Amino acid sequence: MWKFIVRRLLITFPQIVFLSVLVFIMAQLMPGDALTGLIDPTITQEALEIQRERLGLNNPWYIQYADWVTGLVQGDLGQSYRFKTDVTAVISERLNNTVLLSVVALVFTYLIAIPLGLISGRYNDSPLDSAITGYTYLGFATPIFIFALVILWIFGYQLGWFPTSGSVAPGMQPGTMEYYLSKLNHSLLPGISIALISVVGTVQYLRSEIVDTKQKDFIITARAKGASENRVYNRHIFRNSVLPIAAFFGWEITSLITGTVFVERIFGYPGMGLLFLESIGQRDFSVVTALTLLFGIASILGALLSDIILGMVDPRIRIK
Amino acid sequence: MSKAKFSKLLFAMMLVLLLVLAACSGGSDDAEGDGGGDSGDSGSEENNDSEEADGEIYDIADFSPSKEGEAMDGGELNFGLVSDTVFAGTLNFNFYSDVYDSEVIDWFDEALLEVDDTFTYTQEGAAQFEVNEEGNEFTFTIRDEVNWHDGEPVTAEDWAFAIEVIADPDYDGPRYGDVVNLVGAEEYHDGEADSIEGLEIIDDKTLKMTFKQATPSLLSGGIWSYALPKHIFEDIPVADMSSSDAVRENPIGIGPFKVESITPGESVTYTKNEDYWRGEPSLDKVTLKVIAPQTVVQALETGEVDMVDSFPTDQYPDVVDSLTNVDFLGRLDRSYSYVGFKLGTWDDENGKVDMDLENSKVGDVELRRAMWYAVDNDAVGERFYNGLRWNATTLMPSFYEIYHDDSIETPTYDPDMANQILDEAGYEDVDGDGIRENPDGEELVLNYATMEGGDTAEPLANYYIQSWEQVGIKVEKIDGRLLEFNDFYDRIGQQGNDDPDIDVYSAAWSVGTDVDPTGLWGPNVIYNFTRWEDEENTRLLEEGVSPEAMDLEYRQEVYSEWQEYMVEQVPVFPTVYRAELAPVNERVVNWDIRQEGQEILRYEVGVTQDEPVLP
Repeated sequence: MWKFIVRRLLITFPQIVFLSVLVFIMAQLMPGDALTGLIDPTITQEALEIQRERLGLNNPWYIQYADWVTGLVQGDLGQSYRFKTDVTAVISERLNNTVLLSVVALVFTYLIAIPLGLISGRYNDSPLDSAITGYTYLGFATPIFIFALVILWIFGYQLGWFPTSGSVAPGMQPGTMEYYLSKLNHSLLPGISIALISVVGTVQYLRSEIVDTKQKDFIITARAKGASENRVYNRHIFRNSVLPIAAFFGWEITSLITGTVFVERIFGYPGMGLLFLESIGQRDFSVVTALTLLFGIASILGALLSDIILGMVDPRIRIK
Repeated sequence: MSKAKFSKLLFAMMLVLLLVLAACSGGSDDAEGDGGGDSGDSGSEENNDSEEADGEIYDIADFSPSKEGEAMDGGELNFGLVSDTVFAGTLNFNFYSDVYDSEVIDWFDEALLEVDDTFTYTQEGAAQFEVNEEGNEFTFTIRDEVNWHDGEPVTAEDWAFAIEVIADPDYDGPRYGDVVNLVGAEEYHDGEADSIEGLEIIDDKTLKMTFKQATPSLLSGGIWSYALPKHIFEDIPVADMSSSDAVRENPIGIGPFKVESITPGESVTYTKNEDYWRGEPSLDKVTLKVIAPQTVVQALETGEVDMVDSFPTDQYPDVVDSLTNVDFLGRLDRSYSYVGFKLGTWDDENGKVDMDLENSKVGDVELRRAMWYAVDNDAVGERFYNGLRWNATTLMPSFYEIYHDDSIETPTYDPDMANQILDEAGYEDVDGDGIRENPDGEELVLNYATMEGGDTAEPLANYYIQSWEQVGIKVEKIDGRLLEFNDFYDRIGQQGNDDPDIDVYSAAWSVGTDVDPTGLWGPNVIYNFTRWEDEENTRLLEEGVSPEAMDLEYRQEVYSEWQEYMVEQVPVFPTVYRAELAPVNERVVNWDIRQEGQEILRYEVGVTQDEPVLP
């Protein structure tokens, strides 16, 4: 097992280097730079030139890349031009929000998906199953950005049950209980929106696995032994059906970090996805490259985690 | 799978769909019900209005820029900062470069100098001044009652310190150009001097500034008038200032409100500054929060915010009937849209435009003038913006009341005239395809660059192209599409690499407090995207900022002449002027959306009741 993990990690490293070079070159090819947004007749061209020179924006990409890697090795991701502060500070501010939102979304996803999947699989082809499958088809077909807007409009504005933007109420003191409750409160509605849409895949996987497992010989054996119907479902079938969900889990962890652009934007929720999008729009390259690297690492680790979990759940998959 | 199962599934889906649809219509019924209930007996009248609403034309003259009333004592106000993005959080006038940051700063800090409605400095601000005869030496006296939020008095040293920081080689903001006119600033910036010669601290409250050249621009925004609290920033290296806590977390200023807490990028709460030098503010508390443009209307309707910094004017016709709890204030926007012609390239080596009329497809002034006659900008304003934009005449928008010359006759929509001009200039349709060829009988196809953005960008571009085609000039969108913002400005040359394929482009300028147009249309500025220059233009621009132009009448005359000259030469033609609208909740009083010559100042804003008015 350890051998496998180490080998995977070794392959990962060149992947990340390649990714960072790619991102760097692509960033160079994008029109404009961090100062483009400053087209303003009251700011002179000379002042902008001085800034470009100072930021090293006039250097060729490989020199900029070398500078960046040098900083990276020393643990310095550079300065964000737009925020005029360290990239690490900008990212850590957002990372907390995104992790919170993703955890909330993940919890709701499993809270909804597992019971629905179980019911749907157990009573397959009943009207209840049809209703659940119907919901999953609808979920597949509904774009998240429309759905989130509708949810926001109904629960945020019409009913007023949830706050409608931001990650925390203005004026809260960080560190107090109130502050954390307010943060949680702000993440509920976006979290539920994400969950309601993202459950559909999990429900369907679970359902089809259960329907499949139900007809296996060992289930017949279990029944023949006289196991109660609940025991058959909760012990024998469920354990053998969560495989695809376990495989998903590693990827879900990745989304903890990458965030969800659409939902963050609609709910004005300052997370990583939004930061990434804004930084591209404003050509804040230091943030873009740092984020891409982070996302790259996250998805590679996520994939690794998925493999490990699978290996633990299902010994057949374990690589020797 | 059997057919039966499929139909069952379909049935289930239909059921769910039905439920969703029912929920939707239920919601909108409610919304309508609410609106009707509040408007009471005037319901029938409203119906008539809304039927016409689509085609209704509004006039900016019907809007007031300010709102007065009797405020209650205290109260809280919620201010919405409309933005897709967070604010960057560089909360100091000396360092910010993000417009949203300046909205945040405006609540707690202000300039030491006040301006009147012509953007000229007055003696009403936190500092007063005297000018010498030549107009290049200013002596400023800061009022005694002006204090920082931490109780320290604002001194001449604080002001000089701000300018020294901006001129420092390590400074990372974009404002160096604002101080470079001071004697000795360049030497200080290049490290050749230890101090700025033109700054002289006479005593605690008195600062003398000496400028290289006297120009009327100095008096209209040409002086850096924001102080920096030296007792706080003294020990911070200049390069680290903009990322320090003193800028990002605990900023202070001299304005009517103090920053209480900041949630980075999202919201700021302020409490009143009882020690404010003009007097105690009316409100107890202000909360500023970022709201997404998609949800502005709902936020105003539910009273989540009392007012917003900007409102998309194209949404106004849709919401004017439903937002009954909101008053709309309005004023002329200080920007104009224009169509420009590419007449050369940028000479990077010499830092000037390199005009080349011979090789430009639009080098012939008659062609450019005909293209101006061919478009109906009033129709554009009415059809696309319900009258909230209208035909522009000169390159000095009517916003500059004293300089805008409305006696100048400019081409307005007249296709016959356009045809006549083109016929006379030799642009004839040789091969009979309905499209004119150039005077040499060669095919003439112009490439048009314009930006994407909003619902109207594409139809508007198409409208212009059709208008030109109607007088026989073939214009095509470059690459067959609209360009993304960064791409657009790169290709029309914001860094000097002009795309030679572009012949015509549409863009807009937001103009500064100083009327001087050199920064946009001078021969040595990169933002002169047309790359057009000529002696007369240069002469007029220079005269406009010469010492003689300190005389208002002379300056008006020069700029009248310049406006007229630009109409004759048509390197660009302005298309529409714009209106700016600002919704405020009915409970808000004493608010003025102008930035110049305000009759009501920010500390006076108040509310009439504790809770926002709801529709």
